[in-house]
Amino acid sequence: MKTKLSIAALLLAGLLAWGAPAHAGRSCDAAPALKTATVERGLQLAESTRQALDASGAQVVVLARAGQDLGKYGLRYSHLGFAWRQPDTSQPGGTVWRVLHKLNQCGTREAAIYRQGLGEFFLDDLWRFEAAWVVPTPAVQAALLPLLLEAGTEDRPGRALRLHHKPYSIASYAWSTTYQQSNQWAIETLALGLEPSIDAAAGEGVAARRQRAQAWLQFKGYQPTALNIGPLARLGGRLTAANVAFDDHPNEKRFADRIETVTVDSVFAWLQRSGLGGAPQRLALP
Amino acid sequence: MKKNLLAAALVLGILCSAPVRAHGDASAVSAVSALPVASVVVGGSAAASAVVALPVAFSTAGAVLVVKTVESTARGTVLLLERASDGAQASIELGARAAGGVSLAAGTVVTVSVIGAGVLLSAAGEVIAFIPNALGRALLHNERLTR
Repeated sequence: MKTKLSIAALLLAGLLAWGAPAHAGRSCDAAPALKTATVERGLQLAESTRQALDASGAQVVVLARAGQDLGKYGLRYSHLGFAWRQPDTSQPGGTVWRVLHKLNQCGTREAAIYRQGLGEFFLDDLWRFEAAWVVPTPAVQAALLPLLLEAGTEDRPGRALRLHHKPYSIASYAWSTTYQQSNQWAIETLALGLEPSIDAAAGEGVAARRQRAQAWLQFKGYQPTALNIGPLARLGGRLTAANVAFDDHPNEKRFADRIETVTVDSVFAWLQRSGLGGAPQRLALP
Repeated sequence: MKKNLLAAALVLGILCSAPVRAHGDASAVSAVSALPVASVVVGGSAAASAVVALPVAFSTAGAVLVVKTVESTARGTVLLLERASDGAQASIELGARAAGGVSLAAGTVVTVSVIGAGVLLSAAGEVIAFIPNALGRALLHNERLTR
Protein backbone atom coordinates (compact mmCIF):
# COMPACT_ATOMS: atom_id res chain seq x y z
CA MET A 1 0.00 0.00 0.00
CA LYS A 2 2.82 2.32 0.98
CA THR A 3 4.54 1.54 -2.29
CA LYS A 4 1.43 2.36 -4.27
CA LEU A 5 0.96 5.63 -2.44
CA SER A 6 4.56 6.63 -3.07
CA ILE A 7 4.25 5.93 -6.72
CA ALA A 8 0.99 7.85 -6.89
CA ALA A 9 2.54 10.84 -5.13
CA LEU A 10 5.55 10.86 -7.39
CA LEU A 11 3.38 10.46 -10.42
CA LEU A 12 1.23 13.38 -9.38
CA ALA A 13 4.26 15.54 -8.65
CA GLY A 14 5.77 14.62 -11.99
CA LEU A 15 2.62 15.49 -13.85
CA LEU A 16 2.27 18.81 -12.07
CA ALA A 17 5.86 19.63 -12.85
CA TRP A 18 5.34 18.61 -16.44
CA GLY A 19 2.53 21.13 -16.50
CA ALA A 20 0.03 19.67 -18.91
CA PRO A 21 -3.35 19.93 -17.20
CA ALA A 22 -5.92 17.78 -18.93
CA HIS A 23 -8.39 20.59 -19.35
CA ALA A 24 -6.04 23.02 -20.99
CA GLY A 25 -5.89 21.74 -24.53
CA ARG A 26 -3.79 23.54 -27.08
CA SER A 27 -4.10 27.26 -27.45
CA CYS A 28 -5.66 28.53 -30.65
CA ASP A 29 -4.07 31.91 -30.12
CA ALA A 30 -0.51 30.76 -30.47
CA ALA A 31 -0.64 30.08 -34.19
CA PRO A 32 2.45 28.13 -35.19
CA ALA A 33 4.78 29.62 -37.77
CA LEU A 34 4.10 28.12 -41.17
CA LYS A 35 7.13 26.66 -42.87
CA THR A 36 7.36 27.68 -46.51
CA ALA A 37 8.00 24.11 -47.63
CA THR A 38 4.91 22.85 -45.76
CA VAL A 39 2.63 25.44 -47.37
CA GLU A 40 4.12 24.86 -50.82
CA ARG A 41 3.65 21.11 -50.58
CA GLY A 42 0.20 21.34 -49.01
CA LEU A 43 -1.08 23.64 -51.75
CA GLN A 44 0.55 21.46 -54.40
CA LEU A 45 -1.25 18.44 -53.01
CA ALA A 46 -4.53 20.40 -52.95
CA GLU A 47 -4.10 21.44 -56.57
CA SER A 48 -3.11 17.95 -57.76
CA THR A 49 -6.10 16.51 -55.91
CA ARG A 50 -8.40 19.07 -57.53
CA GLN A 51 -7.18 18.04 -60.98
CA ALA A 52 -7.61 14.35 -60.20
CA LEU A 53 -11.09 14.87 -58.74
CA ASP A 54 -12.12 16.95 -61.77
CA ALA A 55 -10.90 14.18 -64.05
CA SER A 56 -12.72 11.50 -62.03
CA GLY A 57 -16.10 12.77 -63.17
CA ALA A 58 -17.40 12.40 -59.61
CA GLN A 59 -19.62 14.99 -57.91
CA VAL A 60 -19.01 13.67 -54.40
CA VAL A 61 -16.10 11.74 -52.91
CA VAL A 62 -15.09 10.61 -49.44
CA LEU A 63 -11.71 12.31 -49.08
CA ALA A 64 -8.90 11.47 -46.64
CA ARG A 65 -5.58 12.85 -45.53
CA ALA A 66 -2.65 11.46 -43.56
CA GLY A 67 -2.24 13.97 -40.75
CA GLN A 68 -0.65 11.62 -38.29
CA ASP A 69 1.55 8.53 -38.38
CA LEU A 70 -0.80 5.69 -37.45
CA GLY A 71 1.47 3.04 -38.93
CA LYS A 72 1.82 1.29 -35.59
CA TYR A 73 -1.91 0.60 -35.74
CA GLY A 74 -1.71 -0.61 -39.33
CA LEU A 75 -3.54 2.51 -40.57
CA ARG A 76 -2.52 4.70 -43.49
CA TYR A 77 -4.89 7.68 -43.21
CA SER A 78 -6.10 9.64 -40.22
CA HIS A 79 -8.99 11.91 -41.13
CA LEU A 80 -11.79 12.09 -43.67
CA GLY A 81 -14.54 14.35 -44.88
CA PHE A 82 -16.91 14.69 -47.80
CA ALA A 83 -15.74 16.63 -50.84
CA TRP A 84 -18.11 17.80 -53.53
CA ARG A 85 -18.03 19.91 -56.65
CA GLN A 86 -20.13 23.07 -56.84
CA PRO A 87 -20.32 26.16 -59.06
CA ASP A 88 -17.61 28.74 -58.41
CA THR A 89 -19.46 31.91 -57.53
CA SER A 90 -16.43 34.08 -58.29
CA GLN A 91 -15.87 32.59 -61.75
CA PRO A 92 -18.95 32.08 -63.90
CA GLY A 93 -18.88 28.67 -65.53
CA GLY A 94 -16.17 27.37 -63.21
CA THR A 95 -16.47 24.85 -60.42
CA VAL A 96 -14.74 24.42 -57.08
CA TRP A 97 -14.40 21.54 -54.63
CA ARG A 98 -15.43 22.08 -51.04
CA VAL A 99 -14.95 19.79 -48.06
CA LEU A 100 -17.34 19.29 -45.16
CA HIS A 101 -15.64 17.81 -42.11
CA LYS A 102 -15.46 17.89 -38.35
CA LEU A 103 -12.47 19.42 -36.59
CA ASN A 104 -11.33 19.36 -32.99
CA GLN A 105 -10.88 22.78 -31.38
CA CYS A 106 -7.24 23.20 -30.46
CA GLY A 107 -6.98 20.05 -28.39
CA THR A 108 -10.08 20.78 -26.28
CA ARG A 109 -12.89 18.31 -25.70
CA GLU A 110 -15.11 19.95 -28.31
CA ALA A 111 -15.36 19.93 -32.08
CA ALA A 112 -17.24 21.76 -34.82
CA ILE A 113 -18.23 21.25 -38.44
CA TYR A 114 -16.31 23.24 -41.06
CA ARG A 115 -16.78 23.86 -44.74
CA GLN A 116 -13.34 24.38 -46.25
CA GLY A 117 -11.45 24.38 -49.51
CA LEU A 118 -9.05 21.66 -50.60
CA GLY A 119 -6.26 24.07 -49.66
CA GLU A 120 -7.30 24.18 -46.02
CA PHE A 121 -7.91 20.44 -45.97
CA PHE A 122 -4.32 19.70 -46.97
CA LEU A 123 -2.62 22.58 -45.19
CA ASP A 124 -2.90 20.79 -41.92
CA ASP A 125 0.51 19.71 -40.69
CA LEU A 126 0.50 16.52 -42.71
CA TRP A 127 2.46 13.43 -41.86
CA ARG A 128 2.53 12.38 -45.50
CA PHE A 129 1.64 14.56 -48.49
CA GLU A 130 -0.86 12.08 -49.76
CA ALA A 131 -4.56 12.20 -50.56
CA ALA A 132 -6.92 9.26 -50.85
CA TRP A 133 -10.56 9.09 -51.81
CA VAL A 134 -13.37 6.73 -52.57
CA VAL A 135 -15.85 7.58 -55.30
CA PRO A 136 -19.29 6.46 -54.09
CA THR A 137 -21.71 4.90 -56.56
CA PRO A 138 -23.80 7.40 -58.54
CA ALA A 139 -26.83 6.63 -56.35
CA VAL A 140 -24.86 7.31 -53.15
CA GLN A 141 -23.45 10.53 -54.61
CA ALA A 142 -26.95 11.65 -55.59
CA ALA A 143 -28.16 11.02 -52.02
CA LEU A 144 -25.26 12.92 -50.44
CA LEU A 145 -24.96 15.93 -52.75
CA PRO A 146 -28.08 17.86 -51.62
CA LEU A 147 -27.15 17.28 -48.01
CA LEU A 148 -23.66 18.72 -48.62
CA LEU A 149 -24.87 21.68 -50.68
CA GLU A 150 -27.36 22.67 -47.98
CA ALA A 151 -25.44 22.04 -44.79
CA GLY A 152 -26.96 25.07 -43.10
CA THR A 153 -25.81 26.62 -39.83
CA GLU A 154 -26.18 25.78 -36.17
CA ASP A 155 -29.33 27.88 -35.88
CA ARG A 156 -30.79 26.48 -39.06
CA PRO A 157 -29.10 23.09 -39.39
CA GLY A 158 -29.39 21.20 -42.61
CA ARG A 159 -29.29 17.42 -42.59
CA ALA A 160 -25.49 17.38 -42.66
CA LEU A 161 -25.44 18.95 -39.19
CA ARG A 162 -28.25 16.90 -37.65
CA LEU A 163 -25.95 14.21 -36.25
CA HIS A 164 -23.15 16.52 -35.10
CA HIS A 165 -22.41 16.07 -31.39
CA LYS A 166 -20.00 18.59 -29.90
CA PRO A 167 -18.28 16.54 -27.15
CA TYR A 168 -15.19 15.05 -28.75
CA SER A 169 -12.79 12.27 -27.95
CA ILE A 170 -10.06 11.28 -30.37
CA ALA A 171 -10.79 7.54 -30.16
CA SER A 172 -14.49 7.56 -29.27
CA TYR A 173 -16.30 4.23 -29.20
CA ALA A 174 -17.94 3.61 -32.56
CA TRP A 175 -21.21 2.40 -31.01
CA SER A 176 -21.69 5.01 -28.31
CA THR A 177 -23.21 8.49 -28.40
CA THR A 178 -21.18 9.96 -25.50
CA TYR A 179 -18.54 11.51 -27.74
CA GLN A 180 -18.11 11.82 -31.48
CA GLN A 181 -14.80 11.94 -33.30
CA SER A 182 -14.47 13.36 -36.80
CA ASN A 183 -14.63 10.18 -38.86
CA GLN A 184 -17.56 9.01 -36.76
CA TRP A 185 -19.56 12.13 -37.61
CA ALA A 186 -18.82 11.51 -41.29
CA ILE A 187 -19.94 7.90 -41.37
CA GLU A 188 -23.06 8.57 -39.27
CA THR A 189 -23.92 11.45 -41.60
CA LEU A 190 -23.39 9.17 -44.59
CA ALA A 191 -25.90 6.79 -43.00
CA LEU A 192 -28.40 9.63 -42.64
CA GLY A 193 -27.90 10.60 -46.27
CA LEU A 194 -28.68 7.07 -47.41
CA GLU A 195 -31.44 6.35 -44.89
CA PRO A 196 -33.51 9.53 -44.42
CA SER A 197 -35.71 7.89 -41.74
CA ILE A 198 -32.77 8.22 -39.33
CA ASP A 199 -33.76 11.90 -39.15
CA ALA A 200 -37.49 11.33 -39.34
CA ALA A 201 -38.88 11.81 -35.82
CA ALA A 202 -39.35 15.40 -34.67
CA GLY A 203 -38.47 16.63 -31.20
CA GLU A 204 -35.75 14.05 -30.58
CA GLY A 205 -32.29 14.61 -29.25
CA VAL A 206 -29.21 14.00 -31.33
CA ALA A 207 -28.43 10.83 -29.35
CA ALA A 208 -31.57 9.06 -30.58
CA ARG A 209 -30.77 9.95 -34.17
CA ARG A 210 -27.16 8.82 -33.77
CA GLN A 211 -28.30 5.52 -32.30
CA ARG A 212 -30.40 4.88 -35.39
CA ALA A 213 -27.48 5.81 -37.66
CA GLN A 214 -25.21 3.43 -35.75
CA ALA A 215 -27.79 0.65 -35.95
CA TRP A 216 -28.00 1.18 -39.70
CA LEU A 217 -24.20 1.04 -40.00
CA GLN A 218 -24.11 -2.22 -38.02
CA PHE A 219 -26.88 -3.64 -40.18
CA LYS A 220 -24.90 -2.69 -43.29
CA GLY A 221 -21.83 -4.49 -41.97
CA TYR A 222 -19.58 -1.60 -41.02
CA GLN A 223 -16.81 -2.73 -38.65
CA PRO A 224 -14.67 -0.21 -36.75
CA THR A 225 -10.95 -0.69 -36.32
CA ALA A 226 -9.93 -2.32 -33.02
CA LEU A 227 -6.88 -0.42 -31.79
CA ASN A 228 -4.70 -2.12 -29.21
CA ILE A 229 -4.12 0.57 -26.60
CA GLY A 230 -2.78 -0.57 -23.25
CA PRO A 231 -3.65 0.79 -19.80
CA LEU A 232 -0.62 3.04 -19.41
CA ALA A 233 -1.12 4.68 -22.76
CA ARG A 234 -4.81 5.14 -21.97
CA LEU A 235 -3.99 6.69 -18.63
CA GLY A 236 -1.38 8.93 -20.18
CA GLY A 237 -3.74 10.15 -22.85
CA ARG A 238 -6.53 10.78 -20.40
CA LEU A 239 -4.35 12.67 -17.96
CA THR A 240 -2.52 14.83 -20.42
CA ALA A 241 -5.03 15.64 -23.14
CA ALA A 242 -8.52 17.10 -22.90
CA ASN A 243 -9.60 15.42 -26.12
CA VAL A 244 -8.86 11.87 -25.01
CA ALA A 245 -11.33 9.78 -23.02
CA PHE A 246 -12.11 6.09 -22.88
CA ASP A 247 -15.09 6.02 -20.51
CA ASP A 248 -17.46 5.53 -23.45
CA HIS A 249 -15.92 2.16 -24.28
CA PRO A 250 -17.52 -0.95 -22.75
CA ASN A 251 -15.48 -2.21 -19.80
CA GLU A 252 -14.93 -5.67 -21.19
CA LYS A 253 -13.35 -4.25 -24.34
CA ARG A 254 -11.52 -1.37 -22.67
CA PHE A 255 -9.86 -3.60 -20.08
CA ALA A 256 -8.87 -5.99 -22.86
CA ASP A 257 -7.03 -2.99 -24.42
CA ARG A 258 -9.46 -3.16 -27.34
CA ILE A 259 -10.46 0.35 -28.46
CA GLU A 260 -12.96 0.21 -31.29
CA THR A 261 -13.19 3.46 -33.20
CA VAL A 262 -14.06 4.75 -36.68
CA THR A 263 -10.99 5.02 -38.90
CA VAL A 264 -10.50 6.08 -42.51
CA ASP A 265 -9.10 2.70 -43.46
CA SER A 266 -12.10 0.83 -42.01
CA VAL A 267 -14.56 3.20 -43.71
CA PHE A 268 -12.83 2.83 -47.09
CA ALA A 269 -12.78 -0.97 -46.77
CA TRP A 270 -16.46 -1.05 -45.82
CA LEU A 271 -17.54 1.27 -48.66
CA GLN A 272 -15.90 -1.06 -51.16
CA ARG A 273 -17.04 -4.28 -49.44
CA SER A 274 -20.65 -3.12 -49.25
CA GLY A 275 -20.75 -1.94 -52.85
CA LEU A 276 -21.43 1.67 -51.80
CA GLY A 277 -18.21 2.88 -53.40
CA GLY A 278 -15.24 1.91 -55.49
CA ALA A 279 -11.66 1.05 -54.61
CA PRO A 280 -9.70 3.77 -52.79
CA GLN A 281 -7.75 6.08 -55.12
CA ARG A 282 -4.44 7.46 -53.94
CA LEU A 283 -2.41 10.49 -54.92
CA ALA A 284 0.99 11.19 -53.36
CA LEU A 285 3.36 14.01 -54.13
CA PRO A 286 6.69 12.73 -55.44
CA MET B 1 12.19 3.50 -2.12
CA LYS B 2 14.77 3.27 -4.87
CA LYS B 3 12.56 0.71 -6.52
CA ASN B 4 9.58 3.01 -6.18
CA LEU B 5 11.43 5.86 -7.80
CA LEU B 6 12.44 3.66 -10.65
CA ALA B 7 8.87 2.49 -11.12
CA ALA B 8 7.54 6.04 -11.04
CA ALA B 9 10.15 7.23 -13.49
CA LEU B 10 9.25 4.39 -15.80
CA VAL B 11 5.56 5.22 -15.60
CA LEU B 12 6.25 8.88 -16.29
CA GLY B 13 8.47 7.98 -19.22
CA ILE B 14 5.71 5.91 -20.73
CA LEU B 15 3.19 8.66 -20.11
CA CYS B 16 5.39 11.21 -21.79
CA SER B 17 5.57 9.08 -24.90
CA ALA B 18 1.94 8.00 -24.75
CA PRO B 19 0.58 7.35 -28.23
CA VAL B 20 -2.81 8.86 -27.49
CA ARG B 21 -2.01 12.54 -27.42
CA ALA B 22 -3.73 15.75 -28.32
CA HIS B 23 -0.75 17.08 -30.20
CA GLY B 24 -0.59 15.81 -33.72
CA ASP B 25 -4.31 15.14 -33.61
CA ALA B 26 -5.07 14.51 -37.22
CA SER B 27 -8.50 16.07 -36.94
CA ALA B 28 -7.41 19.32 -35.38
CA VAL B 29 -8.39 22.69 -36.77
CA SER B 30 -6.19 23.19 -39.76
CA ALA B 31 -3.07 25.31 -39.52
CA VAL B 32 -4.33 27.26 -42.49
CA SER B 33 -6.29 29.54 -40.22
CA ALA B 34 -2.84 31.02 -39.70
CA LEU B 35 -2.03 31.30 -43.41
CA PRO B 36 -1.47 35.03 -43.93
CA VAL B 37 -3.39 35.71 -47.12
CA ALA B 38 -2.37 39.09 -48.53
CA SER B 39 -3.61 41.45 -51.21
CA VAL B 40 -1.58 43.57 -53.56
CA VAL B 41 -1.97 47.29 -52.90
CA VAL B 42 -2.68 49.37 -55.98
CA GLY B 43 -3.09 53.12 -55.91
CA GLY B 44 -3.28 53.17 -52.15
CA SER B 45 -5.95 50.50 -51.69
CA ALA B 46 -5.78 46.75 -51.47
CA ALA B 47 -7.19 45.00 -54.50
CA ALA B 48 -8.20 41.45 -55.15
CA SER B 49 -5.41 40.04 -57.26
CA ALA B 50 -7.96 38.71 -59.74
CA VAL B 51 -8.15 42.13 -61.28
CA VAL B 52 -4.55 43.15 -60.77
CA ALA B 53 -1.50 41.90 -62.61
CA LEU B 54 1.05 40.57 -60.18
CA PRO B 55 3.72 43.22 -59.59
CA VAL B 56 6.93 42.47 -61.40
CA ALA B 57 8.77 42.32 -58.09
CA PHE B 58 6.80 39.18 -57.14
CA SER B 59 6.87 37.45 -60.49
CA THR B 60 10.21 35.68 -60.32
CA ALA B 61 10.73 32.61 -58.18
CA GLY B 62 13.73 32.94 -55.94
CA ALA B 63 13.76 36.75 -56.12
CA VAL B 64 15.05 38.44 -53.00
CA LEU B 65 13.10 41.40 -51.63
CA VAL B 66 13.71 43.68 -48.71
CA VAL B 67 11.01 45.18 -46.50
CA LYS B 68 11.35 48.96 -46.90
CA THR B 69 8.51 50.12 -44.65
CA VAL B 70 5.92 48.57 -42.35
CA GLU B 71 2.81 50.65 -41.88
CA SER B 72 -0.08 49.83 -39.54
CA THR B 73 -3.50 50.64 -40.91
CA ALA B 74 -7.03 50.27 -39.61
CA ARG B 75 -7.34 47.00 -41.49
CA GLY B 76 -3.93 45.50 -40.80
CA THR B 77 -0.42 46.06 -42.04
CA VAL B 78 0.91 47.37 -45.33
CA LEU B 79 4.39 46.28 -46.36
CA LEU B 80 6.42 48.09 -49.00
CA LEU B 81 8.82 45.62 -50.58
CA GLU B 82 11.73 46.30 -52.92
CA ARG B 83 13.48 43.80 -55.16
CA ALA B 84 17.17 43.78 -54.33
CA SER B 85 18.34 43.25 -57.91
CA ASP B 86 16.68 46.23 -59.61
CA GLY B 87 14.79 48.27 -57.05
CA ALA B 88 11.32 47.29 -58.35
CA GLN B 89 8.79 48.02 -55.61
CA ALA B 90 5.37 46.73 -54.63
CA SER B 91 3.10 46.90 -51.61
CA ILE B 92 0.97 44.22 -50.01
CA GLU B 93 -1.63 44.41 -47.29
CA LEU B 94 -1.96 41.80 -44.58
CA GLY B 95 -5.09 41.56 -42.46
CA ALA B 96 -4.65 42.23 -38.75
CA ARG B 97 -4.90 38.54 -37.90
CA ALA B 98 -2.51 37.50 -40.66
CA ALA B 99 0.17 39.92 -39.62
CA GLY B 100 -0.22 39.07 -35.95
CA GLY B 101 1.94 35.96 -35.97
CA VAL B 102 4.76 37.40 -38.01
CA SER B 103 7.48 39.70 -36.78
CA LEU B 104 8.33 42.11 -39.56
CA ALA B 105 10.55 45.15 -39.62
CA ALA B 106 12.22 47.31 -42.23
CA GLY B 107 15.26 45.51 -43.51
CA THR B 108 13.77 42.01 -43.26
CA VAL B 109 14.86 39.89 -46.22
CA VAL B 110 11.97 38.23 -48.03
CA THR B 111 12.17 35.51 -50.67
CA VAL B 112 9.61 34.86 -53.41
CA SER B 113 8.26 31.39 -54.26
CA VAL B 114 6.00 31.12 -57.29
CA ILE B 115 3.68 28.11 -57.03
CA GLY B 116 0.65 27.02 -59.03
CA ALA B 117 -1.75 28.61 -56.56
CA GLY B 118 -0.01 31.97 -56.29
CA VAL B 119 3.01 33.59 -54.70
CA LEU B 120 4.47 32.85 -51.29
CA LEU B 121 6.60 35.44 -49.56
CA SER B 122 8.85 34.03 -46.84
CA ALA B 123 11.33 35.28 -44.29
CA ALA B 124 13.79 32.81 -42.76
CA GLY B 125 11.91 29.83 -44.16
CA GLU B 126 8.55 30.89 -42.73
CA VAL B 127 5.61 32.19 -44.72
CA ILE B 128 4.82 35.86 -44.14
CA ALA B 129 2.28 36.25 -46.92
CA PHE B 130 0.43 34.23 -49.53
CA ILE B 131 -0.95 36.07 -52.55
CA PRO B 132 -3.34 33.63 -54.21
CA ASN B 133 -4.11 33.72 -57.91
CA ALA B 134 -7.46 32.57 -59.33
CA LEU B 135 -6.40 28.95 -58.88
CA GLY B 136 -5.34 29.57 -55.31
CA ARG B 137 -8.54 31.38 -54.43
CA ALA B 138 -10.55 28.43 -55.74
CA LEU B 139 -8.65 26.18 -53.31
CA LEU B 140 -9.27 28.34 -50.26
CA HIS B 141 -12.44 28.62 -48.22
CA ASN B 142 -12.80 28.49 -44.47
CA GLU B 143 -16.16 28.59 -42.75
CA ARG B 144 -17.15 27.24 -39.37
CA LEU B 145 -20.76 26.05 -39.49
CA THR B 146 -21.39 25.12 -35.85
CA ARG B 147 -20.41 26.83 -32.63
